Amino acid sequence: MNTALPVLLLATSLVPALVTFFLREESERKRNAVNLAGAFAKLGLVVVMLDGVRRGEDYEFRFAFVPGLEMLLQVDALALLFVTLSAFLWLLTTIYAIAYFRGGSDLSRFFGFFSLCVAATTGIALSGTLITFFIFYELLTLSTWPLVVHKGDAKSLAAGRRYLAYTLAGSAVLLLAIVWLESMTGPVEFAAPSDLRRLDDMTLRFVFALFVLGIGVKAAIFPLHGWLPTAMAAPAPVSALLHAVAVVKAGAFGIVRVIYDVFGIALVAELGVGLPLAFVASFTILYGSVRALQQRDIKKRLAYSTVSQVSYIILGAALAGPFATIGGLVHLVHQGLMKITMFFCAGIFAERAGITSIDGLAGMGRRMPWTAIAFSVAALGMIGVPPIAGFVTKWYLGIGALQAGQTWVIAVLAGSALLNAAYFLPLIYRLWYQPGEDIVRADAQALERPLALIAPPVVTAAAALLAGLMAGLALSPLGWATLIVERTYWP
Amino acid sequence: MTFPLGPLLPLIALIAPLAIGLLAAIPATRARSLALLPLAPLPALALAFFGTQDETTLAPDLLLGVTLTLDGNARYFLGFVALLWMGAGLYATAYMRDKPKIAPFVGFWCMTLCGNLGVFLAADIITFYVSFAVVSLCAYLLVVHDGTQRALHAGIVYIVLAVLGETCLLLGFLIGAAAADSLLIVDVRIALTDAPGGEAAIALLIVGFGLKAGMFPFHVWLPLAHPAAPVPASAVLSGAIVKAGIFGLMQFLPMESGLSLWGALLVITGLVSAYYGVAVGLTQRNPKSVLAYSTISQMGLVLALIGAAAGATPADNLAAATLLSLHHGFAKGALFLSVGIVAASGRRAAVPALAAAALLALSVAGFPGTGGALAKAAMKAHIADPIVYWLVTLSAIGTTLLLARFVMTLAAQVSAQERARPSPIMTASFVALAVAALVSPWFFFTDLAGLPLAYSLSASSILNGLWPVLVGGAIAAAFLRISPSVPSIPEGDLVTPVTKWLRRLDGAARRGRSRLEDLPRPDPGVLAAPLWRAASVAERAFARWSFAGLLMAAGALGVLIALSLQ
Repeated sequence: MNTALPVLLLATSLVPALVTFFLREESERKRNAVNLAGAFAKLGLVVVMLDGVRRGEDYEFRFAFVPGLEMLLQVDALALLFVTLSAFLWLLTTIYAIAYFRGGSDLSRFFGFFSLCVAATTGIALSGTLITFFIFYELLTLSTWPLVVHKGDAKSLAAGRRYLAYTLAGSAVLLLAIVWLESMTGPVEFAAPSDLRRLDDMTLRFVFALFVLGIGVKAAIFPLHGWLPTAMAAPAPVSALLHAVAVVKAGAFGIVRVIYDVFGIALVAELGVGLPLAFVASFTILYGSVRALQQRDIKKRLAYSTVSQVSYIILGAALAGPFATIGGLVHLVHQGLMKITMFFCAGIFAERAGITSIDGLAGMGRRMPWTAIAFSVAALGMIGVPPIAGFVTKWYLGIGALQAGQTWVIAVLAGSALLNAAYFLPLIYRLWYQPGEDIVRADAQALERPLALIAPPVVTAAAALLAGLMAGLALSPLGWATLIVERTYWP
Repeated sequence: MTFPLGPLLPLIALIAPLAIGLLAAIPATRARSLALLPLAPLPALALAFFGTQDETTLAPDLLLGVTLTLDGNARYFLGFVALLWMGAGLYATAYMRDKPKIAPFVGFWCMTLCGNLGVFLAADIITFYVSFAVVSLCAYLLVVHDGTQRALHAGIVYIVLAVLGETCLLLGFLIGAAAADSLLIVDVRIALTDAPGGEAAIALLIVGFGLKAGMFPFHVWLPLAHPAAPVPASAVLSGAIVKAGIFGLMQFLPMESGLSLWGALLVITGLVSAYYGVAVGLTQRNPKSVLAYSTISQMGLVLALIGAAAGATPADNLAAATLLSLHHGFAKGALFLSVGIVAASGRRAAVPALAAAALLALSVAGFPGTGGALAKAAMKAHIADPIVYWLVTLSAIGTTLLLARFVMTLAAQVSAQERARPSPIMTASFVALAVAALVSPWFFFTDLAGLPLAYSLSASSILNGLWPVLVGGAIAAAFLRISPSVPSIPEGDLVTPVTKWLRRLDGAARRGRSRLEDLPRPDPGVLAAPLWRAASVAERAFARWSFAGLLMAAGALGVLIALSLQ
C-alpha cells in the first residue's frame, strides 16, 4: 500500500495554487512555470498510478482531522478514470489559458483559483468517504466562483450570483442528506459501504432523493440546470474546464458514487429509485437538446448541449447493469474530450476572429482550418458519428437499456442523436459551405496564432477520435470503464 | 497492443485507401495524390481474387474489436466494387486534373472507398455500422464537391436522409445485438427472428438500408445527389455506394426463417420503385438525372428479388441479386462516365461513345447476348410468383424507354467544339468498365445463377429478353416521330412538394408567433412552434433558482409518494 501518492497527487495542484497567490502580477514566467510544472507532474503521477491500479495495487491515505471524522483519500479505478481525465485536460487548458490571457489582468488571482479548482476536482475523485467528498465538493463550489466572475463586469457578476445561489442551495441539501444518513449509519466509506438494508425504505428513498437533489445542481439535471447557461459569461478556458472536467463532471461523478458506492446497485433497484432518475435524465437529455437548438450564440448552444450530454452519464448510472454503467462511465471521458474541444474552439473564434454567434461562422473553415477541423470532429462525435468517441457511448447505453428491459431509452438515444445533428450540423455547414469574407493568406495565418492556443483543441479532438477508433485498447476510456465494471460492480 | 490475428490482406485493403487519402492531407504530397487514386482499391481487388474463403481477421484494438471475413457473395461485391472504384479513380485522374480543391476530393474519395469496402468485409456489427456510416457521410462531401447552389441543395436533402437512415440502422443493430448477446453479424441475423422487438428492428433495417438503395419513397435524395457530384463520383455513387444498402439487406434480413410479410413488402416497394423510377425518369432532361432514376428503377428490381428470397430458396435468390448488382454496378458506372466523355467530345469523337453508351443501355435492359441479359435471366429463374414474374419482365420495356431517353439527352451534350476529344485515360477507363459490364456476367453466371450457361442461350431465354426491348424500342421510335410535349418533374420529385409544404408550415408558425417578439427564432424549418413557445416560457421560470428548487423538491416528493403507494 502506498500512502504518499494520493497526497502528492493533490499537492501537484494545491502547491501551485498557493504559490501562485503569492506571486506578483508581473512575474508571468514564474507563474506559468509553476502551473505547467504542476500540470506535468500530475500527469506523470497519473501514468504511474494507472499502471499500478491495473496491476491491482492500492493507494490510500487516511487521517482523522477531527476526532471521529476521518478523511480518506484513495485511488480506485473509478477515481482514476476521473483523475486521468482532469489531469490531461488540465494540462491542455493551462497551456490554452496562458495563450488566451496573454497580457490580461488579475492573472495571479485567476491561475491561483484555477489550480485550486483542479485540486478540488482531484479531491472529489479521490475521496473515500462521504465527508471527504463533501469537503472537496464545497471547495470546488467556492474556488470556481472567482473564475466565473473573472471579467468583473455586471454580466459576470450576475452569473456568479446565480451560480452561488444554485450551488450553495444544492450544497445545503447535500449536507442535509449526508448528516441524515450518517446519523443513522455512522461514517460512510465508499469502499466498505455500511449495510443500509436495516433502515426503513421510505427514509432511504428520501435520503436518495436529497442526494440527487443536492448533487444534481452541479450535474445540471433539469430543472436545476439554470445556472449553467448563464455561467457562459466566464472566459473561454473557464467554460472549457467547467463543462468538461470540473463542476458539471463533479456532479455526475458524485451521482455515480452515490448510486454505486453509497447505496449500491442492488439496493437502488430494490428501492425502485433508479427508474425515476433515468426518466429525469432522459428528459434532461431531450430538453437540453431542444433548448440548444433555440440558441443563436455559440457558447450558449454549447452550454445547453452540456446539460443534455452530462445526463447520459446519469442515465447510464441510473439504468444500472454492466453495459449501461460502462456507457455512462465512458461518457464521463468522452463528453469531456469532445466538449472541451468545442469550448476551446469557441474561445478561439471569439478571441481571434470576434465571432460569437452561429451566423458568424460562415466561411470560417477556410480562414481557420485547424480550429474548424477540431470543432467539426468534436461536433460529429457529439452527434454519435462513428468512429469518433460518442458512438461508443451510445452503443453501450443502448445495449444496456435493452438488457435492463427499458426499450424506451433507445428512442431517447435516437431522438437525442437527431437533435444533436439538428443543432450541430448547421454549424459545420456554415463553417465549410457558406461563403464568408474573402481569404487572404497572411490573414489566415495570423488568425490561427499562437500555437499554444490552437494546439490544445487539435490534441483533444484527436484524442476524441482515437478514443473511438482504438476503443478496444485496454487503456482506452472504454477499456478502463470496462475494467472498473468488471473489477468492482459485476466481478 | 495486440497484433492482428489471421490474414492481413483484408486489413490492408481497408488501410490502403486511408493511407492514400492521408497523402492528400500532407502539403508535400498533395499534388501527386490524385495520380494514386486508381491504386487505392488495388489490395481489395487482390483480396477478391486471391483471398482465402471464410478465414477471419481479428484486430482487437480497433473499435470494439474489428473482425473481417470474406464469404460467399461478399467476394463478388468486393471485387466489382473495387474494380469500379479503380476505373472511376483512373477516370478522375484525368477528369479532375485541372479542377480546384483537389485535396479534399482525394481525401474524401479515399475515405468513402474505405467505408464502402468495409461494408463487404465486416463480420462484426460495429465494423459494419462504422463502415456504413463512413461511406454514407463521406459521400456527402463528394456530392457537394462542386459547391454550386444545386449541389448544396442536393447535399442538404442527402444529409438529412442519411442521418435518419443511420439512426434507423443504429436502433435496428442495437435491438439485434442485445438479443444476440454477440457482435457477430451471423448471430445478430439469427437472433433477429425472435428478438423482443425483432419485427421493429427488421422494419428499421429495411428503411435504413432501403434508403441507401434508393427504395421508394426514400429515393428522393438519389436523383438530386447523383447528378450533382463530379462525373467520377456520380459513377461510384450510383454503381458502388447504393450497393452497400443492397448488401446490408442481404446480410441482415433473417431470410432462413422466412420473413414472409416483410418479404412481400420488399417485393411490392421494389416493384413500385422499378416503375416509378421509369415514369419520373422519362421526364428528366439532364442525362445524369435520367441515369439516377434508372438506378432507382434497377435497384427496385434487386430489392424485389431479395424480398422474394424470404421463404423459398434464399441462397439462390441472393446469389442472383449479387449477379444483378454486379452487372448494374459496372454498367451504370460506365454510363455515368460516358456523360463526361460525350461532353468532352466534338461531333466526330462522340459517335463511338454514344454507340457504346447505347450498347450498355441495351445490356441494362437485358438484350440477348449482353451481360445484362444473363443477369436478368438469373433473376427471372428465381421468381416463382407469376405476377411478379410478369411485372419484372414488363419492366424491361420501361428500362428500354428510359435508357433511350438517356441516349437522347446524352446526344444533346456533345461539345460545340468540332474537334474536341476526351482524354485517352478517360476513354480507357470507360471502355474497361463497359467491357466488364458486357462480359463479366458470362464468367459468373454458372456460379451465381446456379444454372448452366446453356440456359441463357436457350431460345425461350433469348425470346424472353428480346421482345420487351423491341417493344420498348418501338415505343421510343414512335415517340420520337410524334414528339409530344413531356411534363417536366423536378429532380427529386417528392422533395419539392414536401419542402414547399414544410416552408408553408414554417411560415404559418412564424406568423403565429410574431406576437411574441422576444422569443428566439428556431433554427431549422420548425414544426414545433408551440413546443418552442412553451419551452421558452418555462425556461424563464426556471431561471429563478427558487422556482427550480421548488419544482425539483416537488418532483422528488411526487416520486416518493408514488413509490410508497406501491
